[in-house]
Amino acid sequence: MKNLNLILAGVFFTLAASFGGLLLSGQVQLGQLNRAPAEEGGPLFPAKEPGLAIQGRQVYISLGCVACHTQQVRPAGQGNDIARGWAARPSVARDYILQSQVLIGSHRLGPDLVNYGARVKSDDELHTYLRTSVAGSVMPAYGFLYTQSKDGSFRPTEDAVALVAYLKSLKIDYSSPEAKLKQ
Amino acid sequence: MSQEHSSSRSSVSRIDASVSLPVRLFIISSILWLLVASVLSLIVALKLQVPSFLSDCAWFTYGRLEVLQRNAFIYGWASNALFALNLWIMSSLARFELKSSWLPVLGGLVWNLTLTYGLIQVLLGQLNGFALLEMPKEVAPAMVVAFLFAALWPAVAFARRPTGNVFVSQWYIIGATFVFPVITVVAQLMLLWCPTLGVMQALVHSWFYQNLILLWLGGSALSAIYYFIAKESGRTISAYYLATVGFWTYFLFASWTGPATLLGAPIPVWLQSVGVVAALMMLVPIVITAVNFFGTLAPRSGIAQSWNNTTLRFVLVGTVSFIVSALLSVVFSTRSLNALVRFTEFTQAQEHLAVYSFVSMVIFGAAYYILPRLTGSFWPSAKLVHLHFWASTLGSLLFVVAGLNHGWAAHGRTDFAVSALPGLVAAALLFVGHFAFALNAFGMLTAEEAPSSRRSY
Repeated sequence: MKNLNLILAGVFFTLAASFGGLLLSGQVQLGQLNRAPAEEGGPLFPAKEPGLAIQGRQVYISLGCVACHTQQVRPAGQGNDIARGWAARPSVARDYILQSQVLIGSHRLGPDLVNYGARVKSDDELHTYLRTSVAGSVMPAYGFLYTQSKDGSFRPTEDAVALVAYLKSLKIDYSSPEAKLKQ
Repeated sequence: MSQEHSSSRSSVSRIDASVSLPVRLFIISSILWLLVASVLSLIVALKLQVPSFLSDCAWFTYGRLEVLQRNAFIYGWASNALFALNLWIMSSLARFELKSSWLPVLGGLVWNLTLTYGLIQVLLGQLNGFALLEMPKEVAPAMVVAFLFAALWPAVAFARRPTGNVFVSQWYIIGATFVFPVITVVAQLMLLWCPTLGVMQALVHSWFYQNLILLWLGGSALSAIYYFIAKESGRTISAYYLATVGFWTYFLFASWTGPATLLGAPIPVWLQSVGVVAALMMLVPIVITAVNFFGTLAPRSGIAQSWNNTTLRFVLVGTVSFIVSALLSVVFSTRSLNALVRFTEFTQAQEHLAVYSFVSMVIFGAAYYILPRLTGSFWPSAKLVHLHFWASTLGSLLFVVAGLNHGWAAHGRTDFAVSALPGLVAAALLFVGHFAFALNAFGMLTAEEAPSSRRSY
């Protein structure tokens, strides 16, 4: 082990092995995933994202929401994500194929959002939550996303509208070939 | 005090003098970034305690400041410092006199300017969602080129060494230096320039992240541990013949551990299993390095002697943290245990143990050894060294223990009660420690010229 080229070749081999074994084989398995119907002849899932939601994802990324919120629900038996009511089924690879940047996250200071769109009741509820937060939550109010008009009412900025559209588009309330919703 | 010692400027060896300029640049920039990162961690910790603090403006959201803190710490502090360490250790082992020191200096300047530009863009809201790849995509090519200019010199030194001698530290430096540009280019291409489909992105990111932390930062720091334990204790590394196996198994298995950080994520289960197997196989290099390090230090009350040596004291804390953090990763990559602590403060604490208690403490220890040899003078204040050691050690201990405890307690709960106070106290302690370190280092770097000019040699 006195030869530079030998060390470099060895280290290159270790990296190339993990690159091939993990990333290339992962790409072979995952790279061709398509949208699929929940049952024969049904609509294809995941549904196409509305344009406003695509803008909203940029707001979500730009505010750094991924620091505290994950977008992945683990299978029952691996953690209590499903028991917490975040989604009725685990998230699967196919759920993410239309997303330009996948934000599955690694740290939770707040709830998982992968199925948030199915949990939230209305736009207004979400806007109020973003503008004022709730007592005791570690999430601050995002007041800068709203402007106050003269009569005292709050108007959401474009960013807030897009962000809400994005959060409402986050849904895994459909069956996928890999993970069926329980009937 | 500094007057007597700086008169011995000739005591700076020719080799040290030849790398002095780039090493100083790297160390000064790393300390400045460390201060920036410490202030940011204070703010971030404060925001967890008082969520409304600085929340009126998009610039200072928790998400953005956390990104700034992480990047300033890893790319600003740790990477700059490791440029210095790798260059200095390799030059001294390979008896290498750097002729064109302006090249690494240029690399260092570009690296730091690009990083500054990238972090300003992040502050303004131009960021990505992948940890440690958050900076806009135009930043990475410049950083890779700057890296090559700044960090290539150890390989040159190794290739040109006059004798055939080789020491384990040199392998780790070569390996770590090779890894960074390769993984950065691959990850940038597969995530930002031509994004892969869906959760492949998460897989690519985990591969990049684990390689960056374990191989670039960890590999460089291990090289420093080997060097300083042998150098400062004056002993030969115990069971040295195992070090080769340790090196190869470390690089081989570490680069496969990415999926072990994604257990339960929507990626194929077999990939997760491969990651878990690799994480378990990390036991081989952990045991070997532990035998090397403690086998060398433990006999003849070597631990007690190390405790009285500034460099070895820091390195010892770093070594113990390496072993503990690596063992924690092994144990908590088993599926059932991982499920309990995943996404909690526990994983944050594990990461802090690796990048702070291990890598950064080793860097501190190395800086206490290298800087006097570069400047030919002593550290201005022993009190500040003690303050630094205890503030850093206790601060990171508090952070890690509180994080592990809180993350472990969080399993099965359904609320997000965050005990932010220990984190805040820890961040304050670390800030005090880093400030003491910076004061001492800058005192030394600025004072050395003064006496000689007064005496007008």
